[in-house]
Amino acid sequence: MSIVNVKNLNKTYPSFKLSDVSFNIEEGRITGFIGRNGAGKTTTIKSMLNLVHPDSGDIVYFGKQFKEYESEIKKHIGYSTGSVNWYPRKKLCDIMKTVKRCYDTWDEEAYRKYLALFQLDENKTALELSEGMKVKCNLLIALSHNARVLILDEPTSGLDPFSRDELLSLFTELKSHNAAIFFSTHIISDIEKCADDIVYISKGKIVASLPKNEFIAQYSEEGETLEQTILRMERGVLNA
Amino acid sequence: MRNLLIKEFKLSASFLSYLFILFGLMFFLPGYPVLCGVFFVTLGIFQSFQNARETNDILFSVLLPVAKRDIVKAKYIFVCIIELGGLLIMGAAVALRMTVFANSEVYRTNALMNANCFSLGLAFLIFGLFNSIFVGGFFKTAYKFALPFITYIIVAFLTLGIGEALHYFPGLEALNSFGTDNLALQLLLLASGIVLFLLLTWISMKKSCIKFEKTDL
Repeated sequence: MSIVNVKNLNKTYPSFKLSDVSFNIEEGRITGFIGRNGAGKTTTIKSMLNLVHPDSGDIVYFGKQFKEYESEIKKHIGYSTGSVNWYPRKKLCDIMKTVKRCYDTWDEEAYRKYLALFQLDENKTALELSEGMKVKCNLLIALSHNARVLILDEPTSGLDPFSRDELLSLFTELKSHNAAIFFSTHIISDIEKCADDIVYISKGKIVASLPKNEFIAQYSEEGETLEQTILRMERGVLNA
Repeated sequence: MRNLLIKEFKLSASFLSYLFILFGLMFFLPGYPVLCGVFFVTLGIFQSFQNARETNDILFSVLLPVAKRDIVKAKYIFVCIIELGGLLIMGAAVALRMTVFANSEVYRTNALMNANCFSLGLAFLIFGLFNSIFVGGFFKTAYKFALPFITYIIVAFLTLGIGEALHYFPGLEALNSFGTDNLALQLLLLASGIVLFLLLTWISMKKSCIKFEKTDL
């Protein structure tokens, strides 16, 4: 069942255009959002969270228009922006105290579990964390309020191979609890490893939005890996 | 809204915003333009906006489960609470200068504006201008604040200068009343200041809510 519908999203910047971006995110599935740098991944994700105001298009979560039910819907979304610094000189525990208050769905048990899993020290400030630990810190918030949808912008960037592997395993565990996970990446092996569905964006347009096996059946040539397929497709798009 | 306000006070605010409320005490100073105190209180609030921008406070807030318009409202309420803190001190100073110190020689011979209800009304007006020009200007982009702050400084000091000079104009001497002299006029001017403060703040907040909804972060 699709629980997020992105319909005909358009956004024009002076040097970039997002054109008719449409795809669905399914419950209990992991969707990999792939595209090269500047393809429109972050603009799409920001539009999905009302951080960017699209020129036209609809964002629907759980059958409700995001614009009309913004605060209610956000309680069921977990979002991570990679390694952005929030209040770099404040202790994590102070930031978390404020965040907890905002979620009536906050799960302290899950919070403690992921805090231990990510080996984060609450008494440290964001300034004292490495880039990878900052990513984990954002993920910690996203994972601690029983979100039905996790929207993660390049969550594996900056993580060491062990943490990346742990995170991808975590996605699989969350999927088994029926959560939908939507993560953008330019690391194709991450998608190969855990994604069920692929949304491939290039130059602001959705090239394909399919289950991974259908994507491979439709686009891959004999003996090609997913990475080779996407690289070939990207070159084709660029030459078009 | 309550949670957003807690966030404003605990995470977004600069300590200087709280400290600079004490500049309200400048309303006790003789021979000094008392309305400068109002400017220093707003300078303290400016530090919180600077702090908020450096710490990605707006983006952090937008990602919380709140409506974007509530983020704007929380900022305005925070600003107004700090301003009211300053006004409380200024109001106490005015009350003392109108009663206990009504005949104090040092205040009577003061060449500058007396700290009376009219000056308090002007304080409300300058705070209203800050909310309208600076806070409203900030929310046009949710990032740039240099031009709104410079514009506010110019307008605030023009208002201050005019306020200081008015009682020297023939027929306007009553603006510099001491004690409870011309009390009705003083109270009317104070009420006008409060109304202007409320109007400027309310209109600015409404506009900012609409603007912020369309701002790309």
